[in-house]
Amino acid sequence: MAASMRRLLPGNCGRFIQNVLPNERLLESRYSKSHGNTFQRTLPYVQFRMTHSPNTPAPWWTKKLDTSAPEDLTSDNEAFLQDMVEEKYSVDSPLKEGPWERADWTPRSVRCGLICRKIGVIPQWLNNGKKFYTTLLQVADNHVIRYTPPEINRERRRGSRTPNFGIQVVGADSADPRLFKAEYLGLFQEAGVMPKHHLSRFFVTRDAVIQPGTQLNAMHFSVGDFVDCQARTIDHGYQGVVKKWGMKGGPASHGATKFHRKMGATGGGGNMARIWPGKKMPGHMGNEWRILKGLKIWRINTKYNVLYVHGPCVPGPHHCYVRVMDTILPLRKRKGDGPKPPFPTWFADDYKDQEIPEEIFDESLHRFTASSIEFEEEK
Amino acid sequence: MAASIALARQITRVNINNTKICRLSTVCTDGAFCNASLKRYSDVAPSRSDPEPDVVESHNETLSNAQAHYRYIFPEILPNPDSTRRNKVCEMLERNDMMNRRSVLEIPEFYVGSILAVTASDKYAAGNTSRFVGICIDRGGCGLRAWFILRNVIDDQGIEIMYEMYSPMIREIQMLKLEKRLDESLLYLRDAPNEYSTFDFDMAEVPHVAGDHVPINPLKVKLRSRPWLERYERQDLKGVEDLGLAQKFYDRAKQLATPWEKYDIMKQYRATVTAEDQDEVFRDIHEKQQQIEQARIVRRRRKKLQSNR
Repeated sequence: MAASMRRLLPGNCGRFIQNVLPNERLLESRYSKSHGNTFQRTLPYVQFRMTHSPNTPAPWWTKKLDTSAPEDLTSDNEAFLQDMVEEKYSVDSPLKEGPWERADWTPRSVRCGLICRKIGVIPQWLNNGKKFYTTLLQVADNHVIRYTPPEINRERRRGSRTPNFGIQVVGADSADPRLFKAEYLGLFQEAGVMPKHHLSRFFVTRDAVIQPGTQLNAMHFSVGDFVDCQARTIDHGYQGVVKKWGMKGGPASHGATKFHRKMGATGGGGNMARIWPGKKMPGHMGNEWRILKGLKIWRINTKYNVLYVHGPCVPGPHHCYVRVMDTILPLRKRKGDGPKPPFPTWFADDYKDQEIPEEIFDESLHRFTASSIEFEEEK
Repeated sequence: MAASIALARQITRVNINNTKICRLSTVCTDGAFCNASLKRYSDVAPSRSDPEPDVVESHNETLSNAQAHYRYIFPEILPNPDSTRRNKVCEMLERNDMMNRRSVLEIPEFYVGSILAVTASDKYAAGNTSRFVGICIDRGGCGLRAWFILRNVIDDQGIEIMYEMYSPMIREIQMLKLEKRLDESLLYLRDAPNEYSTFDFDMAEVPHVAGDHVPINPLKVKLRSRPWLERYERQDLKGVEDLGLAQKFYDRAKQLATPWEKYDIMKQYRATVTAEDQDEVFRDIHEKQQQIEQARIVRRRRKKLQSNR
C-alpha cells in the first residue's frame, strides 16, 4: 500500500478532498495538480474536476531564471565572469561528508528514479523476428540534489499521503550558473554540483537514500527491468470535440448547416434535465501529467546513458523530460527471490575492476551484428 | 505453381482491382501498409528521375566523391527531416544499428524500377524460407524503418510485398536488374496491364559493373481505362502513355496543380536534410561503409573462384 501511495502524483483525475480549509483547497486546486503538493487530510475518494494543471510555478517556489536585463559587459568583464564560474565549478566537488551507510535491498524498498530525455522512437526486432518499437530515453546528466527525511517531510507536509517516505530531489542537465537567480543557485550548495535546468523529486524509503552530490546514470536500471514513465503529454492547446474526444461530428454535405465538427446533444430531459458532470466538451487538450506503467527495458547503452524502453507511447513530445521509476505493478516489479537491483543506485566505484560493456541487450532481443534469423525445420 | 502457393500463405489483405496488396506477415508487424508519418525517399534526396551525375558536386571539398554519392545509394541513412523530432544521439545510435546490419546482410544499391529478389525467413513456408522476385515500385522510410515494395504478377494475380530493409528476417537481397524508371513511384503499375509487372522467378541476373552509370529505362506504360486507384492525370507522370481522358479531367488537374511549390524554398528546407547535416552523416559512416565494401569484394571473388573450380 505504501508503495502505491508514492504514485499519487499530479495528473490523477480524482483526489482526496475533505476537511480541507477553504483557502487550502483553493491553493490545492490551483497548484497541487502540477507540483505534487497535496494537502489532503482524510481518505474518501471524491471525483475532482478541474481545468488542466497550470504551467506556472507556485508563488512560494524559489525563483529560477534571472531575467534581469543583461548588463553591458566589456569583453574583459565577460572573461572575468567566465573565469569565476570555472574556478568555482570546475573542481570535482567531493561529497561533503563521508559516504553514507548503505542498506540491503528488500522487496519493500522504493528506490529513487531518473530524469531522462525522450530522444526518439526506433524499431527493434526480437530473436523470433517480431518487430516492435522502443523509445530511447537518455539519462540527462542526473545528480542527487537533496534528501529530506520522512520526519521532516511529515512535519512540513501535514496530512501527506506519503508520511513514511523521504524525498529525494534529483536535478537534470547542468547549466550556466549565470542564467539563474542567487536563491535558485543556493539549492545546489548542499550537493556541491552545478545548477541544474530541471529538478524533480522522488519518494524513497529510508533505506534507499542516496547521498546528495551523487551522479546517477543509466546503470541504475538493468536490462529486463520494468519501469514506469511519467511526463507531461503533448500540448495540443484548445481543441474541439472531434480531436479531443474523437467524436464523429456531422456530415460534410447532404444539407448539413453549420454542423460539421460539433458534438451533438449534451443531455437528456426528464428528471436529470441538465448537462451531467463530466460531459466531454471542447477545451484544452494535453499538457497533463500522465504515467505509463510497466515498460520493459530492452537494451541499455552505457556510453551515452540511453535506455531502450518498450513501446512508442511514452508520454510527452520529443526532447521532453520523463521521470523513470521502478514499476509499481505487482506482477512486474522485482520479487524478493530474484536478483537484486543496484542499491541504492549504481556506483562506478563498485565495478572498478569490471569492464562495463558499451551495449547491454536483453537475451531475446536481436543484435544487429548477429546473422539473419533462420527458423529450424520442424520434425 | 509452388511459389504462389507458398506466397498465398503469407498474404493477408485486401483485394483491390485485381491486385493483392499484401504484407509478409512475419516481416511487417507494424500494421501499417504505408505509414504516412514515414518520410518519403524523394523528400530526403534529390529526385531519382534526375540522372545521377558522374561527378557529384559537393559544396564541401573535403567530402570525397564516394561520400557525395551516398545520398543516392542509401538515402534511408539520412534522418527524418522533421526538425522537431531530430536528435543527434538517437540518429547516431540508429545509424550504428543500420551499419551493423549492413555488415551482415549485403543490401545492394537499388532504385524504384529495379528488379530484386528477396529471400526471407518464413516459419510457414516450405524450407522455412520464401523467395520473391519483383519490381521495386516504391521505397521510403528513414533509419531502421526503411521499407520497399516489390510487385509481381503470379497466376494473373498481382502480388505486392512490403519488406523492411533492416529486418533480420531478410536473408538475402539479390539485385537482378539495376535500373531506374522515369518516375519516383511506380504505384501506377497496379492499374497497368499485367505484362508490365510480370517477372520470371528464374530470371537471370543482368550484370552491372560497379561504379557504372545506372541506366534509366525509358519505358512508357499504357494504363488500363478508368476506374483507377488514383487520379494519375493529376500526378504529372512521365512514365505513362497518353491517359485518354476527357478534357474535363485535365482541366481539373490544371486547376488543382501547384506549380509554384517547386519555388517554395522554405517548404523544401523543411522537407530535406541540409547539406551540412548530410555531410556529417556520410562522414560518420564512411569508414564502416568502406569496410563493408571491402568485405563484399572479397566475398565476391571467393565465390567466383569457387564457381570456376
